[in-house]
Amino acid sequence: MPVTMMAPPTERAGSQRRRAAQPVRLASRAGRRWRALVGVAYAAPTAVMVGLFFLVPLVLVGWMSLHRWPLIGKPTVNVPANFTGIADDDLVKSAVWFTLKYAAVMTALLFVVAFGLALLVQHRRPGVGFFRTAFFLPMAVGFASASLLFLGLLSDEIGPVNDLLSWLGLVDGYVSWTSGSAESALGSAVLLVLWRFAGFNMLILLTGLQAIPLDVYEAARIDGASRWQIFRRITLPLMRPTIALVLTLMSTGSLLAFDQFWILTRGGPDNSTTSLVMVIYREAFIRLDLGSAAGISVALLAVLLVFNAVQLGVLRRRSE
Amino acid sequence: MKPRGLRVAAALTAGLLAMTACGGGANDSAAASPDDGSTLTLWTRAATESVSKAYADAYNAGHRNKVQVTAYPNEEYPAKLASAAGAKALPDLFAADVVFAAQYASQGLWTDVTDKFDAMSVKDKVAPSHVRAGTWENRTYAVPHTIDMSVMLYNKDLYAKAGLDPEQPPRTLNEFAEHARKVDQLGGDVNGTYFGGNCGGCVEFTLWPSVWAANGDVLDADGRNAKVDSAEMAGVFALYRRLYEEGVAAPASKDEAGPTWLGALQSGKVGIAPGPSVWLDMIEQKGVKMGVAPISGVTGGESTFVGGDAIGVGATSAKATQAWDFVAWTMSDDAQVEVIAKNKGVPLRTDLAANKYSSADPRLVTINNLVAKGKTPYAQNFNASFNDPQSPWLQTVRGALFGDAAKSLTEGNSAITKSLQQG
Amino acid sequence: MPRAGTVSRWGFYVTGTALAILFLSPLLWSGWAAVRTDTGFGLENYDRLFSSDNGIRLHHVLNSLTVSALTVGGTLFVATLGGYAFGRFRFPGRDVLFLITLAILMVPYATILIALYVLLGWLGLEDSLIGLSLVLIMFQLPFSIFMMRNSFEAVPLELEESARVDGCNTFGTLIRIMLPAVRPGLITVGLFAFLTSWSEFFAPLILLNSTDKFTTTLAVVNLRTASHGSIDYAALEAGVVFMAVPCLVLFAFMQRSYVRGFTSGALKG
Repeated sequence: MPVTMMAPPTERAGSQRRRAAQPVRLASRAGRRWRALVGVAYAAPTAVMVGLFFLVPLVLVGWMSLHRWPLIGKPTVNVPANFTGIADDDLVKSAVWFTLKYAAVMTALLFVVAFGLALLVQHRRPGVGFFRTAFFLPMAVGFASASLLFLGLLSDEIGPVNDLLSWLGLVDGYVSWTSGSAESALGSAVLLVLWRFAGFNMLILLTGLQAIPLDVYEAARIDGASRWQIFRRITLPLMRPTIALVLTLMSTGSLLAFDQFWILTRGGPDNSTTSLVMVIYREAFIRLDLGSAAGISVALLAVLLVFNAVQLGVLRRRSE
Repeated sequence: MKPRGLRVAAALTAGLLAMTACGGGANDSAAASPDDGSTLTLWTRAATESVSKAYADAYNAGHRNKVQVTAYPNEEYPAKLASAAGAKALPDLFAADVVFAAQYASQGLWTDVTDKFDAMSVKDKVAPSHVRAGTWENRTYAVPHTIDMSVMLYNKDLYAKAGLDPEQPPRTLNEFAEHARKVDQLGGDVNGTYFGGNCGGCVEFTLWPSVWAANGDVLDADGRNAKVDSAEMAGVFALYRRLYEEGVAAPASKDEAGPTWLGALQSGKVGIAPGPSVWLDMIEQKGVKMGVAPISGVTGGESTFVGGDAIGVGATSAKATQAWDFVAWTMSDDAQVEVIAKNKGVPLRTDLAANKYSSADPRLVTINNLVAKGKTPYAQNFNASFNDPQSPWLQTVRGALFGDAAKSLTEGNSAITKSLQQG
Repeated sequence: MPRAGTVSRWGFYVTGTALAILFLSPLLWSGWAAVRTDTGFGLENYDRLFSSDNGIRLHHVLNSLTVSALTVGGTLFVATLGGYAFGRFRFPGRDVLFLITLAILMVPYATILIALYVLLGWLGLEDSLIGLSLVLIMFQLPFSIFMMRNSFEAVPLELEESARVDGCNTFGTLIRIMLPAVRPGLITVGLFAFLTSWSEFFAPLILLNSTDKFTTTLAVVNLRTASHGSIDYAALEAGVVFMAVPCLVLFAFMQRSYVRGFTSGALKG
């Protein structure tokens, strides 16, 4: 009996997707058990990779956080000094404060920019493909490379920024963007991240935007809703899951920020842009105190788990 | 004279190794000849790569052992070493910034080579400050590998233009300030002096010799207490601060974190500035005529920061004997003259300061002679306290030069002392 | 109304073009700076990039290609099978395993690298391109498996039904019916795996020891500093451009595919 083949997913595949989300249901218990076994088999490579290369080292890190762990030699138990030491350490405290501040600012800005870009390129028009590619292209450069690129771009030696600003009369003499002041250093890092990640997040938001069926918009327009009302009452709520995903990725990424500060600002000037992961790096590789580094890492991971769980819980509940 | 010295050193080393082998030295398994054709891995940082490679090439040409050099980016090299150590997989040999030597020695990253080193005839003739740096609890773990010292570099053309005698460099730091002011008056984009105001390592390298020249110090002998609030250090900071506030020091000095320091001097627009001696050649290649003078104290005296790298045998290496053969060879006359001095480097042998290559250029002899007069600071937690961008020292420097000097020095001293005593 | 439509159309193009220029300019500048020398323009910087003592050599490029190929292949293998499992099957531990996979995103390199180094040593994979690739595959899993799971979920039930009616077992269904249906997702996953592994810096630095195993990125970063860290900016930019060119080319080529991969319902959260 010929089965009607459904058309492949289009750009507005919302309803089709919902129907397809249920896994195949089988009548008999044996059938279900067999299917479960097959599922386990397919998931096995994932389980091995995650178990061996993620969980095992993570357990080791947890174990290290309970010890004083010299590089060469035997570890000795050291509970809970690695954790209580965090409270005493001024650098850790300022890094925590800065990282939180940075994550809030970065997430807000990146979200607004990415959403704006997505709204701009959501409709099919000639040239929109070019625009989408232009915004996304910075992802082609590795993050370390992108940081080095910006280091040169903002530098006084070969960068055009200072020359341009002098020519416009906005700047007088010598200015260092990456280490002149806490604000300009932070600004340089923010600019780098915006440039590199706006396009990626734009694409994710785009999928959410385009999953909203056209008829919903039509109905609202017929009812006489303004564009702002449509945006607030229809677009945003229907995009909740996508927004949740994007915010989670952005906030987690910002809380774990390292490369941009390590390469662009070196945590300066005067430790004003030192992030928490930089402190972990310093504990492990400069102070050679693996136990302390592990302690801070475990604390950070715990905070992230709680934070993400709460964030997803809040956003998911409101979307029901 | 040279070949005999080499033969004596080789005989002594061989004899010592034979004795250790027969005496049941635990790690030297089957009494192996040190030059038995082994492949030895040597790690070094990017800044030192060319010198380490030069040593290795010369050694490989004349021995059956082969040394393979791997270089890593400077900033990430400590992370590389820490990871390898944590996994008990250190290379046969590795060199590291000499100011980190005490830390690595205390962590046991290098093998104890006290007996081997003590048996060498050149033991007292290699840079003593480096040897001290590689010592922990009276045992030797590392010996000198390369020497990089701080000196006053001055632009002879700018000196002449400013009406100063290019053959009469300053003898005191006060004179240095006067000369810098005179050059700065040439105006335009010429600056009297330049320094690395956002770089803890740069400042300690260039300013501490002035403190030592006045018989002061920045650390106690064990490296457990800081003395950066001493009168001598405060005086040096005040002098440089005045130069910055008067505009004699280039404004870019405030943000200089190291990467563009050389470039600034190569531009030929800086009158006189303290910097690494190895840059003499690199600046002159840009067509700038340079003179060299020792760094002096505020009212006189001279000293230098004897930096560079120290080298040792990796603690987890199975080829300690063979690896030491290489290290011992690097301290020989042959290596120091034909590899180092020939390439305008500073020999780590104090008795070879005036050798057949350096004698051609009196500036090099001046530099080489400083090795015996200079100091290398010693502290277990040196990196975390002084060199690291997040160190309390950098904060102290910034405060002393650009902020509230008195407060920074007092608070900074306590913070640095706390860091030195940590762990 | 035509006039409003024209105004909004012009607005779109003006804004879009301005933003596009803004986004493209750093890359364009980098290309320009890479060919700029003291005396004008030329390929001198590239010459320095390749011929200087610690410059890029052929084996660096081959190593980078090997690691990328292994990472892409491995990621596609694990993510496809895993995505199929998570998206189409029910089994005990499914949600837990999925969440743990996502948790990989919450652990930074600095935390886990030494432990990974030790682990690779235990497995006999220290200082090997294979060991490095396995680590990179692991870090790719959150994005890849999320992407593939959603891609598989978006495939209509009827397709799978028809395959079963025709007598295919799950593997046959996977190969014959599902893979073609999730092709855009596969391309996106493969592309991202390539991009990350090609430009990865910290992991190769720590996990590789021998110079003959170094990747291109390590060679480029080594150029960064000499004595007391004087940066050769021009050669650095040349290095950045050299590393970026294959990725840019791939991007441009596959633009339609990966956009479709994103929009095929695969990333709706």
